[in-house]
Amino acid sequence: MMHDYLDEEISQEHEKELKTHLQSCEACKTHFHELKKTVALVQSTSHIQAPDNFTQNVMAKLPKEKKKAGMNR
Amino acid sequence: MESIVKKRIQQVRKGDQDAFGEIVELFKDRVYHVCFRMLGNRHEAEDIAQEAFIRAYTNIHTFDIDRKFSTWLFRIATNLCIDRIRKKKPDYYLDAEVSGTDGLTMYSQVETDDPLPEEEVESMELQESIQKEISRLPDKYRSVIVLKYIEELSLKEISEILELPIGTVKTRIHRGREALRKQLRSI
Repeated sequence: MMHDYLDEEISQEHEKELKTHLQSCEACKTHFHELKKTVALVQSTSHIQAPDNFTQNVMAKLPKEKKKAGMNR
Repeated sequence: MESIVKKRIQQVRKGDQDAFGEIVELFKDRVYHVCFRMLGNRHEAEDIAQEAFIRAYTNIHTFDIDRKFSTWLFRIATNLCIDRIRKKKPDYYLDAEVSGTDGLTMYSQVETDDPLPEEEVESMELQESIQKEISRLPDKYRSVIVLKYIEELSLKEISEILELPIGTVKTRIHRGREALRKQLRSI
């Protein structure tokens, strides 16, 4: 049910059940908290960008256009 | 965006190589980012991301124009990443720290002698630790976690990229999340 919750696929009924259980079960509460923290940490990684000249480098490595295809490699 | 991409693909198919440059520009950051999170290393990510575009170009005639181009492109890129991960020797994980550090040299590109503010160092260290733990995940979990949480793709799209049933994707996300939970617990 915790995973259904994290997948946003939990039914209202199960969500209620989960929440009630978490209030009384320390182990599950910790587990659930750790899972939520895991997701938050992974999502907190910064978005990095491709290096400079990436496109030029790709274009330079493309096989020559088809007319000369026979001569490639 | 999709219609521009389709137009460019048709131009590429007619032999207009320059049109492919526009496709690379549109997708390079997303593809590079996925490769970086999969591989944990800047140089390898660049290498594999370039290779993904080159393969997309040489196989452009096999792409079904009625489908989403990014799904196809991510499939090429993730397959290349998984191949690269599997080719590494098992002792690769001993190097994880080194390659993890290497992967973060992007920060050192901001060359400056000024000491970084404390919170920045902290967050760099945190980022580094998270990446290190992602890199420790078995590749089948790593790919779903990266596509879901870094690229924020839907289960359906992930299942198309990895050519797996949605149920399998879900199970892998659950297991990947559990594995990461244990690894990240102390952070």
